[in-house]
Amino acid sequence: MQNPAVEYDYTVAKWFSYLAILFGILGMGVGVLIAFQLAFPELNYIFGQYSLFSRLRPIHTNVVAYGFTLSGIWATWYYVGQRVLKVSLKESPFLSGLAKVHFWLYFVTALLAVVSLLFRVTTSKEYAQFEWPLDILVVVIWVMWGISIFGLIGLRREKTLYISMWYYIATFLGVAMLYLFNNMAVPTYLVTGMGDPLHSVSMYAGSNDALVQWWFGHNAVAFVFTVPIIAMIYYFLPKESGQPVYSYKLSLLSFWGLMFVYLWAGGHHLIYSTVPDWMQTMGSIFSVILILPSWGSALNMLLTMKGEWSQLKDSPLIKFMVLASTFYMLSTLEGPIQSIKSVNALAHFTDWIPGHVHDGTLGWVGFMIIAAIMHMAPRFFKREIYSKKLLEAQFWLQTTGIVLYFSSMWIAGITQGMMWRAVDQYGNLAYSFIDTVTVLHPYYTLRAIGGLMYFIGLFMWAYNFYKTMTAARQIEEEPKFASPMAA
Amino acid sequence: MELKEIQGYLYFFFILFLTAILYGYIVHLYRSEKKGERDYEKYGKMALDDELDSKPVEPLDENDVNEKRSGK
Amino acid sequence: MFGWLEKNPFFFAVGVFVVIAFAGLIEIIPDFAQASRPLVGTKPYSVLELAGRQVYIKDSCNACHSQLIRPFKSETDRYGMYSLTGEYAYDRPFLWGSKRTGPDLHRVGNYRTSDWHANHMWDPTSVVPGSIMPAYKHMFTNVTDLETAFAEALTVKKVFNVPYDKDIDGDGKIDVVLGDSPADFEAAKQRALQEALVIAKETKREDLVNMVKEGKIPEIVALIAYLNRLK
Repeated sequence: MQNPAVEYDYTVAKWFSYLAILFGILGMGVGVLIAFQLAFPELNYIFGQYSLFSRLRPIHTNVVAYGFTLSGIWATWYYVGQRVLKVSLKESPFLSGLAKVHFWLYFVTALLAVVSLLFRVTTSKEYAQFEWPLDILVVVIWVMWGISIFGLIGLRREKTLYISMWYYIATFLGVAMLYLFNNMAVPTYLVTGMGDPLHSVSMYAGSNDALVQWWFGHNAVAFVFTVPIIAMIYYFLPKESGQPVYSYKLSLLSFWGLMFVYLWAGGHHLIYSTVPDWMQTMGSIFSVILILPSWGSALNMLLTMKGEWSQLKDSPLIKFMVLASTFYMLSTLEGPIQSIKSVNALAHFTDWIPGHVHDGTLGWVGFMIIAAIMHMAPRFFKREIYSKKLLEAQFWLQTTGIVLYFSSMWIAGITQGMMWRAVDQYGNLAYSFIDTVTVLHPYYTLRAIGGLMYFIGLFMWAYNFYKTMTAARQIEEEPKFASPMAA
Repeated sequence: MELKEIQGYLYFFFILFLTAILYGYIVHLYRSEKKGERDYEKYGKMALDDELDSKPVEPLDENDVNEKRSGK
Repeated sequence: MFGWLEKNPFFFAVGVFVVIAFAGLIEIIPDFAQASRPLVGTKPYSVLELAGRQVYIKDSCNACHSQLIRPFKSETDRYGMYSLTGEYAYDRPFLWGSKRTGPDLHRVGNYRTSDWHANHMWDPTSVVPGSIMPAYKHMFTNVTDLETAFAEALTVKKVFNVPYDKDIDGDGKIDVVLGDSPADFEAAKQRALQEALVIAKETKREDLVNMVKEGKIPEIVALIAYLNRLK
């Protein structure tokens, strides 16, 4: 078959990669700062009221989830999408133009979002803090991505959609549904004609609002931190290692399993709350069932390396991806454990929860995006990766950082949970609340140091990427499998 | 019947239905491979051989492609 | 059938959507009417309390404080009666939080006073040695946006039928006075100022009292009004 375009169009994939690095450094930089604030509260005042913990925490979560991760997702979408459909964006001026508008609108919205949070414009719903004008922009951006996905599919040369495509489509649909329903709100200015035009009031009240919020909150994790990252690993791990997916059939089964089960698990955020018992139980049960499809995907990834484990030693990129799937297994086991009612009674509201979130996000999401972008870099710039040694050093530094992070948070969470419920011989509470805070100081310090190590790793990544772009040795043609790197 | 009751029945039957579909899907996957109708594992190659000029694992019909492209 | 689905992206997408939407349909929609029913006697927030609630949201107090007491002895001993769904009927949005870096606040109005809050928000370690909470001094100078609070109250009254200007407890008197249009704002402001003056005096801080007397309510006063209401 004759293809009119000679090569794939990486322009927008490149732009989103730059943005992923930028937002990664920004979001995790804020994360490191607020981690140190918990150990050393004086750090709250370095920029007056703009550096207070409560102001910065939403900025940290939003920039990391919707800045770093979404940029990573779109960087890979504009790369993987073309390749597995075997169609270049250059073949459609409309779609390549749309991709650029998508990028710029997203960039502007992201900046507006950060500024709005810094100036206290927030709805307070976790991971859905943006006020209604921003929500509308988000919807527009999302629709653009939808057009991009289905437009490219319309032009494809490959009849069957590769498994990664399934996951990208599911990301698109899932987030669209969740975001729309959770952000339903009535702008007060439009009703009354007075007050702050940015202010809105939620369509749902009390327990209902909580239910919708955690149906959203949990599944935003599913469809931003899990589903699209699986899309990435199903492409990048086989491609980098030169091994096809271990079992394509298993990947299909896990897909449907994950789609069905994940949505039910949101109730585990509300165990022992005022939502009906049966929903809590349902959340708990389905969270445990969720282990099956999650491990199905994870094992499939690991088994893809069967017979080729020597690559793990040779390639830092394979290291990143294999450890990412391992962390995926770890956090998809840890999550269900925390959803068991009696464990949840202890763990809920403690630092074990942020600990769990971070072994998923730092280990699984972060590592996968880092590996994906470093895999794409030689293809973007027709150059080798600048330094293998630096990449190796980054891997070990960040891995140590994650281990410090989650182990200190495990101890902190369980300690605090036990102290909250401890009683003396007469049945009175043994500790006042502040006792359970001061005891955490060493663990908060360790956690912050772990985060700092990961953060330093990001700079090594950014430097390596920059040097790959500008100074590494040029290569004749696009590498087929393993990405070439200079020692 | 109360809404709750309807909801309970709906839930039960939909779960049964989806379980049946899931198992049906597993059977389908293996049977169609055994009968030689389709080799699912070959789709794994889509990630490995993904140059613009590589031969698609399963090309669209030539007519289909032309139709779509002239439409755009 | 399955092979066909894999090659038809549109119907494939529909299939995915049905599978993921199912949980929402079953889990969320049916319980809506019941859970939004207020506990008997629960009154909507006054304009000043609502303004304080907006301050609570603006500075993301819910990032570190929960408002949900679970039904365990260790929690009821520490914070009071466990939370009931009807108590949240006027909470838009809900503020349960997900992390207790600081203690639960759902019944903080039962055991803390206005001047304790004022001291605490000015310098947390002065009343809780070892506290890692930062001070929120800007709340002592920022002026509360009463207009937006009034707009919110009016919106929920109109759109969600929240019972403002009604006799809720059956004693023959209107419980929370609001009004029907933006023209009633001035009267609402005067009521809020009266409420605020009481709280400002309780804090024993001259500067807060003076601000209220000048017709400006500092954010901290509105916030304390809200926290005192949490019982």
